[in-house]
Amino acid sequence: MSLNKGVIPAERDDDLFIGWAKAPAIDRRFLFSAAPLLLGATTGLGWLVAKNLSDPGAGKWDTTATHVIEGALSAKPYPMIRVADPSAPFGMRTVLVVAQGKCTSGLDLAAKEGIPVKASGALIERNGRQMLEVPFSLDKWLEPVFIDMPGVVADPPEERLGRFALAGRIMDSKCFFGVMRPGRGKTHKACAALCIRGGVPPSFWARDGKGRESVLLMTDAAGGPLGEDILPLVADPVSADGEIVRVGDLLQFRADADAYRRV
Amino acid sequence: MGVKYQGVQWNGNKVVYDLYMLVALALFMGVFMTIGMTVHPSGHQADAVVLLIRALGCAAFLMLTVVLTIGPLARMNPRFLPFLYNRRHLGVMTFLVAAAHFGLTVLWYHSSGPLNPFVSLLVSNPLYASVEGFPFEAFGLAAFAILFVMAATSHDFWLKTLSASVWKVLHMLVYVAYGLLVLHIAYGALMTEKSAVYVALVIAALAIVAGLHVVTGVREWSRDSGMKGLHAPDGWIDVCAPEDIPDKRAVTAPLPKGDRVAVFRDGAKIYAVENACRHQNGPLGEGCIKDGVITCPWHGWQYRPQDGVSPPPYEERIATHDVRLSSLGRVFVRVKKNPLGKEGAFIDVGGAAS
Repeated sequence: MSLNKGVIPAERDDDLFIGWAKAPAIDRRFLFSAAPLLLGATTGLGWLVAKNLSDPGAGKWDTTATHVIEGALSAKPYPMIRVADPSAPFGMRTVLVVAQGKCTSGLDLAAKEGIPVKASGALIERNGRQMLEVPFSLDKWLEPVFIDMPGVVADPPEERLGRFALAGRIMDSKCFFGVMRPGRGKTHKACAALCIRGGVPPSFWARDGKGRESVLLMTDAAGGPLGEDILPLVADPVSADGEIVRVGDLLQFRADADAYRRV
Repeated sequence: MGVKYQGVQWNGNKVVYDLYMLVALALFMGVFMTIGMTVHPSGHQADAVVLLIRALGCAAFLMLTVVLTIGPLARMNPRFLPFLYNRRHLGVMTFLVAAAHFGLTVLWYHSSGPLNPFVSLLVSNPLYASVEGFPFEAFGLAAFAILFVMAATSHDFWLKTLSASVWKVLHMLVYVAYGLLVLHIAYGALMTEKSAVYVALVIAALAIVAGLHVVTGVREWSRDSGMKGLHAPDGWIDVCAPEDIPDKRAVTAPLPKGDRVAVFRDGAKIYAVENACRHQNGPLGEGCIKDGVITCPWHGWQYRPQDGVSPPPYEERIATHDVRLSSLGRVFVRVKKNPLGKEGAFIDVGGAAS
């Protein structure tokens, strides 16, 4: 039997890090070198991820000032106020009305429908499309006024522009117009569905063959508000055959929920 | 290794470590928010709350990725042991960042609506039967639930109450949580954002975590394979020659039933103990003998090599194995453990055996 009775030379007794003891010099040197690398890598990753975020698009939600408008109130198919505007293409502009939060269906406008009103709230705006965000209690934001609004009525006549096959995405108008930026895509799908379930008007964000963007107010085939059947399709790429109808300055896309197909 | 519990265990090393982690988190969040608010032209700025939700989500994923790389890195290079020693604080910090991401998401996207926010989280996207449209929120919620359980049981009180083996199994769920987080990102952000950078970053993170684990696993497997066939039929195994064991360190060997034994050398004496630390099943064989006691590389728990008992006032115990020197001068270890607290037979290569 040959037995090596010698003892292998010991490594330095302190070269293994033990948390409750003073860190060995070799570990301190390593950590002092690693710390700037760690902090630099963290900073670089933050920069890289944020730098590549997609453009959320135009849109603003001005909660710093109270915006006041006067016009004719309509609740069909969704709450809106039509304001006289001689500079606008049809002599008027339509301002959609939504409640604070995600429960616009709680706004009770039946008693005020069709009359001239003065309304105040936070302005939401995207590419010239306007929306007013108001409190639930009518007396906090709405009062009847007696003004002359030539050319503006609560429910202007409809102009039927024909049937079209459109492809695009169903958006909740409130977030899409500017409350959330970005207010689109799969990460926003649940929020958009919840808003539409709560009565926020759905919009169809479509692009034509030349890449031009159109935003149409969505209704059912009869021009009424869409029901909850549309919710699973919100935010996804879809196509539908429907009728485009101009009501005042606003384009409506009229198609029942079962006309939409996921693409 | 404590005779009494503290809410949070801090020492000088942990304080410095936590400060570094907080600075790194603040840098990531600060740079993310600053760039995110200014990267697009005027009028196209992202919503600050949405940006904050995204920054917190990214930070939590990054932190969990780092947490999962620490284990294999420390197995490959002892210079990473300080990160492992403090890993629990980073884990809890990761949970807190994830909680902020979760809370802000529920508040911003799901509150003030016609549904209970938590119901909305689960039903507002109802496409559970769709491969492409599956709600990413469900993956995130499941991952968050696991992180919550892990953070809630992270204290040594739960480690002792649940036992190290149960606690370890529970905390291995972190790998499930990480997989769920990857799905959460793949089905959410990666389907929303257009840049390929995000796909590349997630694949890189996944590759780093998986790669490090595969490398360490292969190393361990090949080391164990080299020892196969050394099992003696009489209940002893041939581990190595005495000179194969560095002084104050150990050689580990697989046992027939899957456990491992750590064979330590302290000067001329050779002892064998079970390899799993009572604390978190840390690999004692990768530790050292300091001040005459076996010291776990993970958190510094200590055991006397003679009987496997922690020095007073501590009371933890690991089992010893008997060792003997064969006629060919090899170190043999008895497969059967000794009862807890019993001194094991040892070798004295300076002279006497046992």
